Amino acid sequence: MLSVKNVIDIADLSVDDINLILENADTFNEVLERDLKKVPALRGKTILNLFFESSTRTRISFELAAKRLNADLINFTASSSSMKKGESIIDTIKTIQSMIVDLLIVRHSDSGVMDFISRNTGLPIINAGDGKHQHPTQALLDLYTIKKAFGDFKGLKVSIVGDIINSRVARSDMLLFKKMGMDVTLVSSSMLLPENLDYFGVNVRNNIDDIIETADVIYMLRMQLERQERKYYPSINEYNRFLSLDFKRLQSMKEGAIVMHPGPVNRGTEISEAVMNSEDTMKQKIKINEQVRNGVAARMALIYLILTTG
Amino acid sequence: MDDKGFLYNEKHLEFKNLVIKNARIICPGPIPEIQADIEIENGIIKSMVSDLPIGDIAQYSPIHGNEKIKTNNRRVLIDAKGMVVCPSFMDMHVHLREPGNEDEEDIESGITAALHGGITSICCMPNTKPPVDNQYLVKYILQASVKKGFKVYPVAAMTKKLEGAELTEFGLLKECGAAAFSDDGFCVQDAKLMYEIMRYAKQFDVLLILHEEDYNFSKSGIMHEGYFSAKLGLEGISSLSETVMVARDIMLAKKTKARIHFTHVSSMDCLELIRMAKEDGVSVTCDVTPHHLCFDDECLEHYGTNFKVNPPLRSKEDREALAEALNSGVIDAIASDHAPHIEYEKNTTLKEAAFGVTGMETLFAATYSELVINRKFSFQKYLSFLAQAPYKILGLKSPEIKPGNTAEFVILDLKKENLISRDFFFSKSLNSPFIGQKLTGEVMCTINNGKIGYLKI
Repeated sequence: MLSVKNVIDIADLSVDDINLILENADTFNEVLERDLKKVPALRGKTILNLFFESSTRTRISFELAAKRLNADLINFTASSSSMKKGESIIDTIKTIQSMIVDLLIVRHSDSGVMDFISRNTGLPIINAGDGKHQHPTQALLDLYTIKKAFGDFKGLKVSIVGDIINSRVARSDMLLFKKMGMDVTLVSSSMLLPENLDYFGVNVRNNIDDIIETADVIYMLRMQLERQERKYYPSINEYNRFLSLDFKRLQSMKEGAIVMHPGPVNRGTEISEAVMNSEDTMKQKIKINEQVRNGVAARMALIYLILTTG
Repeated sequence: MDDKGFLYNEKHLEFKNLVIKNARIICPGPIPEIQADIEIENGIIKSMVSDLPIGDIAQYSPIHGNEKIKTNNRRVLIDAKGMVVCPSFMDMHVHLREPGNEDEEDIESGITAALHGGITSICCMPNTKPPVDNQYLVKYILQASVKKGFKVYPVAAMTKKLEGAELTEFGLLKECGAAAFSDDGFCVQDAKLMYEIMRYAKQFDVLLILHEEDYNFSKSGIMHEGYFSAKLGLEGISSLSETVMVARDIMLAKKTKARIHFTHVSSMDCLELIRMAKEDGVSVTCDVTPHHLCFDDECLEHYGTNFKVNPPLRSKEDREALAEALNSGVIDAIASDHAPHIEYEKNTTLKEAAFGVTGMETLFAATYSELVINRKFSFQKYLSFLAQAPYKILGLKSPEIKPGNTAEFVILDLKKENLISRDFFFSKSLNSPFIGQKLTGEVMCTINNGKIGYLKI
């Protein structure tokens, strides 16, 4: 049983909760190997995928997770809704509440919108990404991916590289990785970092070369140009010099170390073409596609546990 | 008659004769307190003596069943035993929303809220729709408030349409009653234009009330930039947004010798600049709001929209520095920045929500609780921030409780604790951060312009 009804902020989950989710993810991962990739665990439950901000991979991942648990899932996207006709968010939420569903999976471009929806509906909520705040299920699937690669977390050196200030993934990952006993370093530049990082208790470096040989996990972030009013960073050349993962850097990583990225990758910005196209032993380091795959199992585990808690 | 006990405009209480029995009179500054009965006739304080003869008490009957408020149909008798009588307050930063947003507040409801807060003088800011950038609107506000027997001091825009581009008619506006000039809510970004504004303000010896904000630091910001904005993933508004403009305008005021007043100061760095400017002889004053004294950025942890204000609630250290600056005299006054908003502007996500909170009605209880109860300020010193400094900054005479003067004072219960609920308010809007908070101190009665403006039954 989980100790919480909602997963809005990754910090709300206890270590026991997290281990329980990871164990269940293993079970459901096994289901995904089967010929018939479906279990009747949530028959009769209704889940609403409430996406106020566009998304493909996260939405589909949740949709697959729900369907493989036999739950009914309805997609709501802002572009097809009356939000476009000027309905206020509070009225949209009240309308949705009246439709009687069991679980909301919500994505929104404003940080903190989950608290607002939760206060106004009382329904369980899974945060599928809110503004620059958090993306807890991404963090869980990332953790699950690390678990599969290393088995344990204690003392692992993780570096999160790139556009931290705009990244909800980074905020959730930092908190979760720290909680599980990993040593977290951010590699970024002044304009891509929040002014005050005290809450996260992490180390900061400005050059990827500082950590490339010692890190167990290099977590490359997407340069979120869509969240920037103007370009924060001088140039891609400068980015490549200090913050990108190129083939030479990939080769200098220690044995067993892995590369992750929440996707979609800006080829040539945070990760070079050569790295993306690498083969054989180098390719094994790159876990980007495995993260996507693990996302379905991790989300199945979370949905299952929330809908069978209490 | 409202069951909350509001008697403003109640004709049957307009007696020629009003007596406050057992008044413990405390004034701002180092003046000894007085114990007396205050007799008011035709709105003027006639006498202040002990044991004023009131005739046979048996002839008086309680009003609305309250034994402390009695009348014999010629005279109203208020027993102030156990309470404190002080000069009434001035709130030099209020948004009355008329004309344009009368669904949020209007001049009449704003006056009602002021009286409920123990306030008998207010400065209203010009960012109405249309803005107060012309003589006609200044006159309109003055006429509407005179009709209500209440002192509203209109603040006129410094620039036409508050656009920060062209100066308004400082001379004509002053002549028809503008008490000061401000683009409140906006900040003139062009330093050269600000320099012209100050030179012109100096020519007419008018006060400029300045809302300091460099938009390059603040645009798209929602809360103070710091620990909590990083944690919550919200766009930050750096303290530098305020500090760089305060620094600029101190330099301009030093050069032009204009009188400037920084309103709602929020960050510790600008306090240091203001302290140095005062030492340097620059004509500068400033005020702080109750919400910046009582709350900090941690309050936004649950994304409550009633903590979304501009300037934002700053860090705990900033909040400490604000209280310290009041104590040391760097900050001169307290003003509420009363900013009413309609329900739907606040019942939404933090990003969509409007900036601003109401504040006149909780002005006293909030700051009394924070400064006198929690921070042990002396009551007389505290009183100067509400009942003396604002008048002085505006170049007005502060009300004095003495025979021959028009009666203008408040009766306060310093012990009463109240849990502030939505029912507490008379304002048309309910966007108060103090809802749900327990505050000490209550305004029992406000005597405005010689008459009972508010009386709690």
